[in-house]
Amino acid sequence: MNSLRVEWFSNVRNDLLAGLVVALALIPEAIAFSIIAGVDPKVGLYASFCIAVVIAFVGGRAGMISAATGAMALVMVSLVKEHGLQYLLAATVLTGVLQMIAGWVRLGALMRFVSRSVVTGFVNALAILIFMAQLPELTNVGWHVYAMTAAGLGIIYLFPYITRAVPSPLVTIVVLTIVYIVLDLDMRSVGDMGDLPDSLPVFLLPDVPLTFDTLRIILPYSLTLMVVGLLESLMTATIVDDLTDTRSNKNRECVGQGVANIASGFVGGMAGCAMIGQSVINVKSGGRGRLSTLAAGLFLLIMVVFLGDWVSRIPMAALVAVMIMVSIGTFNWNSIRNLRQHPASSSVVMLATVAVTVATHDLAKGVLTGVLLSGFFFAHKVGQILRIGSLAENEGRQRTYQITGQVFFATADRFINAFDFKEVIDLVRIDVSRAHFWDITAVSALDKVVLKFRREGSMVEVIGLNQASATMVDRFGVHDKDGDADLLADH
Amino acid sequence: MNIENKVLACVDRSPYADHVTDHAAWAARRMDAPLELLHVIDRHPEFSDSQDHSGALTPNAQEQLLDKLSNDDEMHTRTAREQGRIFLNRLRERALAAGVAPVDMRQRHGYLDETLHDHQSGVRLFVLGRRGESVEAPPDELGSNVERVARALERPLLVVTEGFREPQRILMAFDGSAVTRKGVEMIAGSPLLRGLPLQLLMSGKARSDGPRQMDWATSTLSAAGFSVTGDIVPGDAEAVISKAIVDRGIDLLIMGSYSHSPWRSLVMGSKTTDLLKSATVPTLLLR
Repeated sequence: MNSLRVEWFSNVRNDLLAGLVVALALIPEAIAFSIIAGVDPKVGLYASFCIAVVIAFVGGRAGMISAATGAMALVMVSLVKEHGLQYLLAATVLTGVLQMIAGWVRLGALMRFVSRSVVTGFVNALAILIFMAQLPELTNVGWHVYAMTAAGLGIIYLFPYITRAVPSPLVTIVVLTIVYIVLDLDMRSVGDMGDLPDSLPVFLLPDVPLTFDTLRIILPYSLTLMVVGLLESLMTATIVDDLTDTRSNKNRECVGQGVANIASGFVGGMAGCAMIGQSVINVKSGGRGRLSTLAAGLFLLIMVVFLGDWVSRIPMAALVAVMIMVSIGTFNWNSIRNLRQHPASSSVVMLATVAVTVATHDLAKGVLTGVLLSGFFFAHKVGQILRIGSLAENEGRQRTYQITGQVFFATADRFINAFDFKEVIDLVRIDVSRAHFWDITAVSALDKVVLKFRREGSMVEVIGLNQASATMVDRFGVHDKDGDADLLADH
Repeated sequence: MNIENKVLACVDRSPYADHVTDHAAWAARRMDAPLELLHVIDRHPEFSDSQDHSGALTPNAQEQLLDKLSNDDEMHTRTAREQGRIFLNRLRERALAAGVAPVDMRQRHGYLDETLHDHQSGVRLFVLGRRGESVEAPPDELGSNVERVARALERPLLVVTEGFREPQRILMAFDGSAVTRKGVEMIAGSPLLRGLPLQLLMSGKARSDGPRQMDWATSTLSAAGFSVTGDIVPGDAEAVISKAIVDRGIDLLIMGSYSHSPWRSLVMGSKTTDLLKSATVPTLLLR
């Protein structure tokens, strides 16, 4: 009860103000992401309203902003193109169900395999894709679109030097809209991109047949949306945790994202997730509590429904300027400088994540690539920790091999090759007390070594198998099993 | 003298710190116990006073924000630590001058209720101001910490009002419940109030076993050497007790506290909170 009060009502004034700032920035983003996904702006706006409001109550990270996002919009493009909006709504609901299940089975714990380099690659790829999504608005257009966009960016970055009391993206939108209307410029506006909300959202069942075919169409999309949504949400939660020096409940956030997406799908909204940029804006503006998220959603809907006519007259150039700002702000510019300073493997992981994502427009594939590469590099690095030395003892009748380090699939060959099987010797002792045998590859490598020595007529003694290795050997090894003792007697 | 049985005074930089120290020094002297002055430096990550509503995402906005916020926290903590040390030293002098020894002092990070809960094993009595530095509410309001702290603790808690006067006339709200019966035994066994006149008052809904309970309480306390009177006044407990405090010139109130869950209090209201709010004298809460 205590924490409920703290999470909702300890920062009321600043939460409301920050929520307003965020709502003003959410409107252009929700419209832009709808356009990326190929649906009417109202789909993104309803989604942003619904997700923000629902997640305020059920999310695991107070002060984090969730709404319609670019990462999710990019995944759904082909679904919308091939099957239409209703299938997107059904996929959104299914995404929510999958996310709730992921939260219940504590899939959030898998985030620990997503390294920092992969996270950096994720945000950089996201920034690049958001920027690229603006290019259609900037190609084959007259010079005045460029002039408007440039002026918009100028206002966004320079206006804060005059005052920080008013959101500069709002000033940009207002000024450019006035210029557009007064000069009656010939360029596209938000109204040309599709329907805006004309009423409060209403409950709708997605109009799709409830058949196996439908599931086969939407399931692949829902799976990707689930992964991308949870990835960005958990990354964002970690960022907000760091910024505010507090902790979040990651599994509750997974379930919460699911609930929010189910709700969004039923009011005609697209799937969404947490937003890195907006959450940073929220914290920067003083938002800390759940009230800031709720306020952002409510303000957004109020403004869009009651100022709909004005929103439709916002020139696309203003939106593009805001989205370029989001893209620049999302990109991790330090990562470029760090390319030289960080280990090459980290940089390769980051660049591979970016490259695969930009090529496929699928953040899930990019992250998977990054995670696999990280694992590969890690195995390689750990494989360096293996030293094998040996010493003749007992006047040359006996040789002791001292193994130190990690024996597993990546080092098994090196392990085998370190033994001299042709040496004429009575007894070979293999001291593995300072080694770890991690997998069956390592165990069978040890078997191979033991059997090879026996074939040469040498006795073999393995000493100091520590508990971890012993477990593996007991379960998978053959050389010291009962039948094997007979084998030894034959020699 | 048992070092494990100290009086712990929770102070902050509000004007109440002086009164808390005076009361704690009085209790420590009476019980011949060591005194510890504790200043808890709490962070409020759930609160922000940012005035930046520019809403623009500059390049590396996230890193810059992280830098700024951690610098702010660092500055705030450093200042609090340094100032806390200064005023703790002043309060220590004050307690020493009142005749208490030894007086220890300590600063800790954390939330007040959690810190006190974790530290209660070696403590015999907690002393807390009824309002702290963070309170902007009207003067009859309780500080936000009092109820949380009282609920978190399993030891007696002295909630202090403004101004210190050595308690002479003591009123105990006795309702025959398990908490207050245990309280009677605690008072009887403690040197804190020994030799002072004690008035027991039973109010609220009339209980059939009221007189019997009251007889037990007065005889227990008399046997422990207290001069004690017992009254049963039917009527609304809060009103009866508040009136008695004024009419009889009471300067210390003793009562049991928070025997119900927070949820019940949310719906029904809490008698303890109501009484604390209306009490104009220091109040000893028995858990």
